Amino acid sequence: MILKAFRGLKQAGVLGMNSRNADYIMRCNPRSFFPLVDDKLLTKKRSESFQIPTPALYCVVDRYGDVAGFQAALRGICQFAVKPARGSGGSGIILIRDCAEKGYISQSGELISLQNLVYHISDILSGVYSLSGLEDRAILEALIHPDPVFDAVSYQGVPDIRIVVYRGVPVMAMVRLPTKASDGKANLHRGAIGAGIELNRGTTITAVHRSRVVGNHPDTGKPVGGIQVPYWEKMLWIAARSFEMTGLGYIGVDLVIDRDRGPLLLELNARPGLAIQLANRKGLKERLNQIDQAPAEVFATAEARVGWARKTFM
Amino acid sequence: MKRPALWLSLCLFLLTAGLLFYRIVWLGYPVFPTAPGKTWQLTISAHLPAGTGEARILLGLPAENPGRMVVEERISSGALNLSLTQEGRNRVGVWSGPVESGGQEISYRATILIRPRQASPERPPAIGPYPDRFAREDIALAERLAGRWKGLLLSDLIRAIAATAGGEWKNPPPEMKDLDAWQVLARGYGREETLLLLLRAANLPARRAEGLPLSASIQNHLLTWIECWNGRNWEIILPEKGEVISHSEAFLPLAVGGFPAFRVDTGKLTEIRWSLSQEFVSRWSLHWERIRRSSSFLDRWSLFQLPPEFQRTFRILLLVPIGTLIIGFLRNMIGFPTFGVFMPVLMALAFRSTGLAYGLGIFAGILLVGYAVRLGLDKLRLLLVPRMSVILTLVIVCFTVLALAGNKLGMREFMAVGLLPFVILTMVIERFFVLVEEAGIRQGLRTAAGSAAVSIIAYGIISWEPLQLTFFVYPELLAAVAGVQVLLGRYTGYRVSELLRFRAVGGSS
Repeated sequence: MILKAFRGLKQAGVLGMNSRNADYIMRCNPRSFFPLVDDKLLTKKRSESFQIPTPALYCVVDRYGDVAGFQAALRGICQFAVKPARGSGGSGIILIRDCAEKGYISQSGELISLQNLVYHISDILSGVYSLSGLEDRAILEALIHPDPVFDAVSYQGVPDIRIVVYRGVPVMAMVRLPTKASDGKANLHRGAIGAGIELNRGTTITAVHRSRVVGNHPDTGKPVGGIQVPYWEKMLWIAARSFEMTGLGYIGVDLVIDRDRGPLLLELNARPGLAIQLANRKGLKERLNQIDQAPAEVFATAEARVGWARKTFM
Repeated sequence: MKRPALWLSLCLFLLTAGLLFYRIVWLGYPVFPTAPGKTWQLTISAHLPAGTGEARILLGLPAENPGRMVVEERISSGALNLSLTQEGRNRVGVWSGPVESGGQEISYRATILIRPRQASPERPPAIGPYPDRFAREDIALAERLAGRWKGLLLSDLIRAIAATAGGEWKNPPPEMKDLDAWQVLARGYGREETLLLLLRAANLPARRAEGLPLSASIQNHLLTWIECWNGRNWEIILPEKGEVISHSEAFLPLAVGGFPAFRVDTGKLTEIRWSLSQEFVSRWSLHWERIRRSSSFLDRWSLFQLPPEFQRTFRILLLVPIGTLIIGFLRNMIGFPTFGVFMPVLMALAFRSTGLAYGLGIFAGILLVGYAVRLGLDKLRLLLVPRMSVILTLVIVCFTVLALAGNKLGMREFMAVGLLPFVILTMVIERFFVLVEEAGIRQGLRTAAGSAAVSIIAYGIISWEPLQLTFFVYPELLAAVAGVQVLLGRYTGYRVSELLRFRAVGGSS
């Protein structure tokens, strides 16, 4: 019974946690390259030199003395996001959508006084949101205005697109759609739904909600399948380029689509989760093996890798 | 990719196998060191009162024979000199010298192993001459009385002679005048002497013995009995009732053949006590004595050489790697969610003093309180180190309250709470909180339950005595454990929990 289930997973080419850790992460991701993806500021700087677009950086606060000066650096910009450079799981992020008389209005409509925002930035600097407890830096960057393409199938928040990349070749993709249960966050653990994306055409397929396959968004009731993701070729190219950028062989690339600027690299993950297999109802292992058997010329350029992936992973 | 790991674990297995083979075949270690044997703890203690000047005390000590092994002896003699000598078949301890002004305690302690199956074969003893104190006509009388039982089997003969101690004469009944004469003799010399005379007259080797019946007791005098050789082994005759007991291993002689089991040559002895208590130990402890004297490298470097209070620690420590191996197995092959690698093992170690039910209850209670407080602390946005310190303080406060409450209620389990790993508890509270924040309460509770389950399993393993002893005798088994750990580290197959998680993918193709 159990053996049969084991065989079933193997035949479906499912990648398990043990295999991911031992065969891919430990083998392809040198530990010394991790800081590059764990620190959003480093990721951003490196992306620039690779012509990969990221949300515009307004200012970095890395000393307590500079905290009060962030307003001057914003030069009147009233829409921005405050993030810890090394935060995890979305903690410590505040989204500001407007200026108010004595402070700012947050994305959810709350009034945040200037003083409170200063406190928050000080907290970030002292490492409150960095799980390792190390001192951190605060990033103030442009607020993302999500492209309306996913409006019908998301509840508040910003949907993000995750592409798993192996040796520079995009392997599998999904879009994470916020729900009421996930509190507007694109986090599958919290109850966001993940919809698989067909790698070739860039259209969504069925979605998974808490390890259950669903056809419609639980809050809006609209079907999640069949949506054409805009800028698909560009996004695959960004994903593929992240290999040269980081030197990490097995990586999760998180992108958002901005209404005005198009696809932006949000962050990179050196330990991408396995739920993407559920969203696509397909195993990663089979594709990873195909990549390992691909001829050397496939790996020459990012364009070649994307082309090969689109052709191969139908 | 997998090859080096396989080779490494193979090497570790071979190392274990080699050392095991060496120990068992060359050093004669027990293959199953856990089979329990029955041992007795004998303590002889005596007090020499003050002001008696020189003293010379002789005490009969247990002797070894094939059915009886003296495993460990500890003798305390204070300022007296001690020498061990042999008197006949007896081992005798001689304490001599000036008694201290405040009086003196002397004691002897031994662990004695009784091995009934290996009790024979002792050499059949020779029949000695008649003792001098008996007159020729007494001997003739005894021979006449004994002669009537010539046709009997040896064991029946012994029983017939023993019965005479109670005044019972089996057929054919002897003549009245012989009987009367014998009773006079018995009154004069005592039952034991006349029984020995009768046994000698019947050509049965026999001897007087002084010692203790093997049962848990504290005595201030010894029992006297007669041991009689039935051709294969000694039978015991209790002269009081004329009872025969055929299994001599039920008695522990301290002196045989007419020697006294304790004698005071000079000085004075008060409060002499012999106490016996039973102990179940495993066969490995019998090797203790041998190992201690051995010159072999592995014996000299055996854990048995450690003082006993440290041995206990190592009996547990040696099993901790198995605990982590089990955790590795449950996490990587089954997919149990746990808080870290070490938390369940440390919890399991702590459960040894609090007990499982109390330990788990306390753990759950403190986690709950800690979570509530952590929830409040979150609003204060404390830095990592002070934040953890606050939680740690809370944990210690919980311990203190529990210990005090335990003291009031008379519950030792609560007082033992201080042995719970407080650092780990603090970290568990923090991780539980982060997990609940990031992945929801369900995931948090699942991980807590998984941790608890794993620590229960680990507790079961490290508390399993046979396993403790096996690892203690053969610490090289750790290499094999490491070998399995290496293999487990190279397990890249699915976890059982993933069968459930990815069933939607597995089923679709």
